[in-house]
Amino acid sequence: MHDMPPSVRPALRRLSRRLALGVFLDIWPAWAVASLLVAGIIALGCRMFLPGAASYLRWFWLAPVIVAVPALVISALRAYRPADVIAVADWLNGGRGMLLAVMETRDPAWIESALLQQGSAFAMPRVRPWRRLALVTAAAVFLGTALWVPQRAPRRTNSVAADEIAGRLNAAVVELKQQELITPADEKSLDDEIERIRRGAETRMDASSWEAADALKEKLAADVAEKQNALKWAADSLARYSAAAQAGASDPGAQASAAELASALEKLARTGLLAGAPGDLQKLMKGGKLPADPKALGELAAAVSKYLADANGRVASMARLGKEFGRFDPAEFPLEGGEDAAEGDPGRGGVTRGRGDAALTWGKETQPFDRFKARPLPPGAARSADDWSPLVELPGAPQAAPESSTAAGARQYDAAAGQSAWRRTLAPRHQSAVKKYFAK
Amino acid sequence: MTDPRTLPAPDRVADGQAKIARLVSGLRQVILGKEQTIDEIVASLLARGHVLLEGLPGLGKTELVKALSRLLSLDFRRIQFTPDLLPTDITGSHILQERDGRKEFVFHPGPVFTNLLLADEINRASPKTQAALLEAMQERRVTTFGETRPLPDPFFVLATQNPIELEGTYPLPEAQLDRFMFKVDVAGVDRAVLEEILITRIHGEPPPLAPVLSAAELRDLFALVDAVHMPRPVAAYIARLVAASHPASADAPDPVRTFVKYGSSPRAAIAIGAASRALALLRGRPGVGFDDVRQVARPAMAHRLVLDYTARLEGWDGRRVIDALLAAIPEIERGLPQTLEAR
Repeated sequence: MHDMPPSVRPALRRLSRRLALGVFLDIWPAWAVASLLVAGIIALGCRMFLPGAASYLRWFWLAPVIVAVPALVISALRAYRPADVIAVADWLNGGRGMLLAVMETRDPAWIESALLQQGSAFAMPRVRPWRRLALVTAAAVFLGTALWVPQRAPRRTNSVAADEIAGRLNAAVVELKQQELITPADEKSLDDEIERIRRGAETRMDASSWEAADALKEKLAADVAEKQNALKWAADSLARYSAAAQAGASDPGAQASAAELASALEKLARTGLLAGAPGDLQKLMKGGKLPADPKALGELAAAVSKYLADANGRVASMARLGKEFGRFDPAEFPLEGGEDAAEGDPGRGGVTRGRGDAALTWGKETQPFDRFKARPLPPGAARSADDWSPLVELPGAPQAAPESSTAAGARQYDAAAGQSAWRRTLAPRHQSAVKKYFAK
Repeated sequence: MTDPRTLPAPDRVADGQAKIARLVSGLRQVILGKEQTIDEIVASLLARGHVLLEGLPGLGKTELVKALSRLLSLDFRRIQFTPDLLPTDITGSHILQERDGRKEFVFHPGPVFTNLLLADEINRASPKTQAALLEAMQERRVTTFGETRPLPDPFFVLATQNPIELEGTYPLPEAQLDRFMFKVDVAGVDRAVLEEILITRIHGEPPPLAPVLSAAELRDLFALVDAVHMPRPVAAYIARLVAASHPASADAPDPVRTFVKYGSSPRAAIAIGAASRALALLRGRPGVGFDDVRQVARPAMAHRLVLDYTARLEGWDGRRVIDALLAAIPEIERGLPQTLEAR
């Protein structure tokens, strides 16, 4: 083409580029459509069978770009030769033959002729890729649809789910152990319990397995709450005792304060919180007598206060167990539609655990109701101070031990107190979980 | 032999085009409203090919040939073909004559010994008489009594035939049809041309014509036509056209497969090439273009096809088949990509 006259060359170059574009557009759309269809089919397969590949599927959009490389190579191989370009140019100009004649003969006599100028004044062919690009668009829509399909989660086996349940429980136990909030005996007991739940879940995975796990977590949370209460009681009773001791031995409340402090420390010892206590405190517990000297008593009170503050910090850090594994908190799941919806049909909190104030749903019974034999539940622990209600105002420290306050789940509220709606009833579908938890 | 790597000089081409234009202009004075027919006849003449004119009586076929002879100042003979015409009436014969007391056979040349022979109503003569023209047309010589005599140069046969008179006619055999470079259909004229004829031709006499080309100038034009360049893509187009006229060809369009029994011969390709060169020169170009080929393909190929009987039943003739062939075979071997569209 470079041998052609300069006046003709630009037009021929433009035509050559246009032809190259046409060749590419003849090849690439078919490749792009094929790549998008294949990518779409693969994406669908991954959506159904390969969840691990979900994060890589968006890269499938690069398929048309990638296939452009081989399409370019093939376009280059099929490119129009200069003689072909000139033949096309001559044909576009009506087939007068001037360009062809001059190209083949290179006759200088005709290079500047008017006939050749007329021969180079051809109209460029128009690019019409829309029909082919419409196919590419359709294929892209197919890929988009395939990527839009939700990822299908694989069905977990019982052992996987059981390991997950046990793993969560073990993590809670390990954390308690790190905070020195459980004794080795408790730890062994909890491990046995976790293993029992895991085996049960392996055997049969249903809602009862999760309920059993939740019950154990609640028990852990209740233990922590009990320790927290014991610490608070000890700190309060120590403060009252110190106040009474400073007032003098003649104070009638001093002896009562001493008795209360002794009970509180005993309670503290039972919860296992005194295992890491300072020597003075342990010695006091062994002797069972408080020092009469105000100075010694003050030092002891300071040591105990420091220890109690430290222990209280550890216990407080574990108090979140109660929130993590606790019961349903409606505040965490605001209902749709604002206040009107809040007054609507309750029970949308979850699949197996509805809102706390929801009417219980009685589904299919796994066992006849009359086969269940009621058994009194062991005393639980209050989760927070909100569960407490003043029964009577006593002058001074109460005489009753804190454990007299029963767990919320077992407390028999008086209907007159206005708390009858809080009463918890064991749903039939939870019976198996309860039985599994207490079966030893 | 012209050098295929050079083009005829622009001034030579312009001069040749001017001469041809004079010839064409003279013919158009005689025959009104037949521009394409005149172009085709002139192209065939410049390509040294014979022409078969087919048309109804009174359309000016004979007048056209007579005008041509006058314009070219060539020797002109006319033979009216009849069923009792003998071959020797065309080629000439030996006649016993007495010369200097001796009797001998002396050859008397027939009317074929001329530059321009008008074979009027050629299909009225018997095949034997028609065959007498075969050697003359192809070899441009005549053999009688074992003696071969060359015909004058140039030698053209312009034959006419009437398409409607079937009784008492002898259709030309394929071999003889193949000798004609063109078969030109002389169609009727429209009302405007008839009005012009009525005004300018009181007794139908054509205007007087003066010669516009001498024999030497005509020979120069022949040489110039031979020098017109035939580009390879155009030659490939002619080859594909002729090849596709055979029903067994892979590129043959459906009408060819259905209605054609035998396609065009290589002689058709040669005729198209030569006539295209002449037409290109007539248009003042030094090289043949696709449009030249398209124009000459129809008169050069249609009469060379041997059609199946189904073609007549379906109303197809050679011209229609060639039109379908031209529509089916692209001029350039590699056309535009599918995503490009010519404006």
